[in-house]
Amino acid sequence: PGCAFTGPSDLNSLLGQDVGVLRDIVINANPTEPPFSLLVLHDMLCQRYRVLSSVHVHSSVSAVPPALLSCLGPSHPRSHKRQDFDFGFTLIWKDVPRVQMKFSVHSMCPVEGEGNVARFLYKLLVTPPSDPCQATLVDSWVDAALFQLAGGGADERAAMVKALNAALCRGAWLAGPELCLADVLCACGLLRSGGAPSAPSNVQKWLKSCENSGFFHCVLSLLH
Amino acid sequence: MTLNLTVNSGNPPLGVLLAVERVRGVASVTVQDGKVTCLRVSDTVQFSDVNSILRYLARLAPALALYGSGVLEETEVDHWLEFGARRVSGQSPLTPVLEELDKALALRTFLVGHGLTLADLSVWAALKGSGDWQAVQASAGSFPHVRRWFSFLGSQSPFSTVAVKSASTK
Repeated sequence: PGCAFTGPSDLNSLLGQDVGVLRDIVINANPTEPPFSLLVLHDMLCQRYRVLSSVHVHSSVSAVPPALLSCLGPSHPRSHKRQDFDFGFTLIWKDVPRVQMKFSVHSMCPVEGEGNVARFLYKLLVTPPSDPCQATLVDSWVDAALFQLAGGGADERAAMVKALNAALCRGAWLAGPELCLADVLCACGLLRSGGAPSAPSNVQKWLKSCENSGFFHCVLSLLH
Repeated sequence: MTLNLTVNSGNPPLGVLLAVERVRGVASVTVQDGKVTCLRVSDTVQFSDVNSILRYLARLAPALALYGSGVLEETEVDHWLEFGARRVSGQSPLTPVLEELDKALALRTFLVGHGLTLADLSVWAALKGSGDWQAVQASAGSFPHVRRWFSFLGSQSPFSTVAVKSASTK
């Protein structure tokens, strides 16, 4: 099952004029809670764009597992030219309470929350649905994945798994004909909460489809 | 198209009521009291969390730019929606949250861009309902930028009308 990235190809129209330096998306994340969804989205971005990816460790944390240091793939050769890339993706493992993204800092406030960073990255890939209901449905899955599935109590998680199973009765994916941001966040939330093995059949089948999409390699290898 | 919004009368969602007031004329929303807050969009879809309702209303009325304009502003609005719902409403004491907010507002009239967005509605409503913020306001001094922004918004529509309405129902 493919995932067509049909978003606007002109980054200038999306992100404002290029000012002559490589745009850099800087993400601070806590290594005790790796933002799985952002790793999936990084894979997707790499299929669509030339991304200069790098991982750093901030002095506020010590001993980051090797798997987290290589989670964006092999590092680029030192001889790379920065102008050969569309943008930079810099992941810094840091002792922060919430995932934080800094981009275009002169005009934009730092953006907190894994879901909000994920929404931003996904807009570089796919134009959001123009139907208000469809677009909001995706957003509500994103919030539910983070606050009920990954961060909620046992009851909230159970209710969420039930809701997922019901939604997946109607189609192969959560919100539309293809894998979308809702699927990425919910699958990552389920994998993080450890609830995947006991999930009902529709959810199992859908998780398999997510894994087969090819974008979850990194997340699965971090879990094993 | 008329939408049906049910609001939890025990704990009215002030941000949602502000947004309903703002989109009046573009979208028709009937509001009724109930036990839980819920916006019925169609036979199969309803939104019951405040941020989803806010997003949906903003998207119904794109000309008002309540979601900002462009991807960067939209992302900032998303940031503040979560900040309002999870940080302002959830945290006690409120001091670190107010420090962040004060810093963000130091050079700004509105939270995002140059006009009113969901960011202002959400954070303003969360502060309005916060006992900690009432206490901070009563004492002199701290968080000058939050105070300025809070009273600037509070003095105009829809904030002035909705706040009066919700106060009179309590």
